Amino acid sequence: MKNFMMIFVGKEYTDLGLSPEDMQSRMEKWFAWGSKMESAGILRGGEALTPQIRRIVGENRTVTDLTSAEVKEIVGGFYLIEAKDFDAVQEIAQDFPDYDLGNTVEIREIMVFDR
Amino acid sequence: MEHKLVDHLFRHHSGKMVSVLTRIFGLSNLDIIEDAVQDTFIKASISWRKEQPEYPEAWLTKAAKNRVLDIFRTLKAQKNNLPDITQGTDAIAINELFLDSEIEDAQLRMIFTACHPQLDPRDRISFALKTVSGFSTKEIASALLTKDETIKKRLIRARKAIQKSAIQFNIPQGKDLYARLESVFEVLYLIFNEGFHSNNKAQLIREDLCSEAMRLCKLLLKHKQTRLPESYALFALMCFHSARLPAKTSVDNEVLDLKQQDRTLWHFPLIQLGNTMMHKAVETEDFSCYHYEAAIAAEHLRAHTFKDTNWNKILQWYEALYALQPMPSHLLTMAVICIQNKDYKQADSYFKQLLPQDLEQRAYLYYAAKADYYMVINDMENALTFIDKALETVTNSLEKDFLLKKKTDWLKSTNSF
Repeated sequence: MKNFMMIFVGKEYTDLGLSPEDMQSRMEKWFAWGSKMESAGILRGGEALTPQIRRIVGENRTVTDLTSAEVKEIVGGFYLIEAKDFDAVQEIAQDFPDYDLGNTVEIREIMVFDR
Repeated sequence: MEHKLVDHLFRHHSGKMVSVLTRIFGLSNLDIIEDAVQDTFIKASISWRKEQPEYPEAWLTKAAKNRVLDIFRTLKAQKNNLPDITQGTDAIAINELFLDSEIEDAQLRMIFTACHPQLDPRDRISFALKTVSGFSTKEIASALLTKDETIKKRLIRARKAIQKSAIQFNIPQGKDLYARLESVFEVLYLIFNEGFHSNNKAQLIREDLCSEAMRLCKLLLKHKQTRLPESYALFALMCFHSARLPAKTSVDNEVLDLKQQDRTLWHFPLIQLGNTMMHKAVETEDFSCYHYEAAIAAEHLRAHTFKDTNWNKILQWYEALYALQPMPSHLLTMAVICIQNKDYKQADSYFKQLLPQDLEQRAYLYYAAKADYYMVINDMENALTFIDKALETVTNSLEKDFLLKKKTDWLKSTNSF
């Protein structure tokens, strides 16, 4: 078994003007997805991120404060899961609720260093 | 541990919170309030992904209360003259506004605001659905089969009217109350009808509109001042119609008329509730148009089969309704009833009082009824001419399919001779 991270990239709910009804139904899908992974015993962790960004760039360590509205895409959160390979994670990622918003799931394997 | 949320919890809660917060901060701060409530739901929808709170509704109310303080700070920063609500008696008073009965009161105030005569009648429905019912512009647009942009414009216009005439957030008293109630009835009736008669293919949206109208009408029944025979009649009418909703479309989403509906699918508890409401509605001498419409709907429900329908009785109710509310669509319906009743002479006399353009965008109904009329008096040529006219003018695809099917059946029946 290996460890993977599913990273959720795209638009924030805040910037899309979703209706309460829509938000409720998305939240329920997220909840169902999380429970499904949990009961399968593959969930290792995960967080949702707030839309505030502080960016530090370059030699001069230039600091900019941004919100999700000012960037094209933002990382909204991630899940850490255990799975056999990329294909297995891809299968799990089918339940991500926000594809219809144009949002993306990026699957990355956690690197294992030899001792 | 895993418990599904109440259907429409967010939507309903949004309407409640917008109303309560408006009662606290006034209609002039509606924009800030709506944004704040929206934020609460975004927060909930993200933080509940991992774990839902045990009492979701209480969580949302608490979040909304906290929002009160946030809004207060925002407004204070804009140097509005506001009392200090963070402490003392004002803070206690605000807590009381979040009691269920007070929330309902606030929602009623919002309905009355939406129905204020200063608002354009077309804007009232959109504004009510947005603020009292928590629909988004997109949802309203799709429910009313209008463009997003149109709804946005209506909402902006409604808000401007509210600001311009400095409308008070209250339930009018005395003579004003009844005048405003008329408009409230009308808006609820229209919301319901949008759902019930809608041309919308999405069944869900239709049901949402109907149940929303019923929910709001129930609020009227809960309040002493608005609990009138007319309110009961409107609610009874909604019950009777809703009882038939499950039978209104076939599995393939075809529109079924009363003749084809499977009457065993009618929802009996709603019919019973409607009857109870009707008993309360008739505790008066003055019948409103809602009384007559409910009586008509009840008469249809009374018939076990389409054949058993008491058309004479229904025609009587329609005559009474037409006397109160002389609308061309009633004339057309009366003509259709006479066709059912095989009284073709009387049907023709109703048709003669009508022009297709009287029915505006529903002119196709006139043509379709006339086609039926010619069909039953064995004038196939005219029947086909009129059904073609109906097909030319109908816009809704479900109704179009219905008419096309009818035409094909007629053609088949003539070929078999």
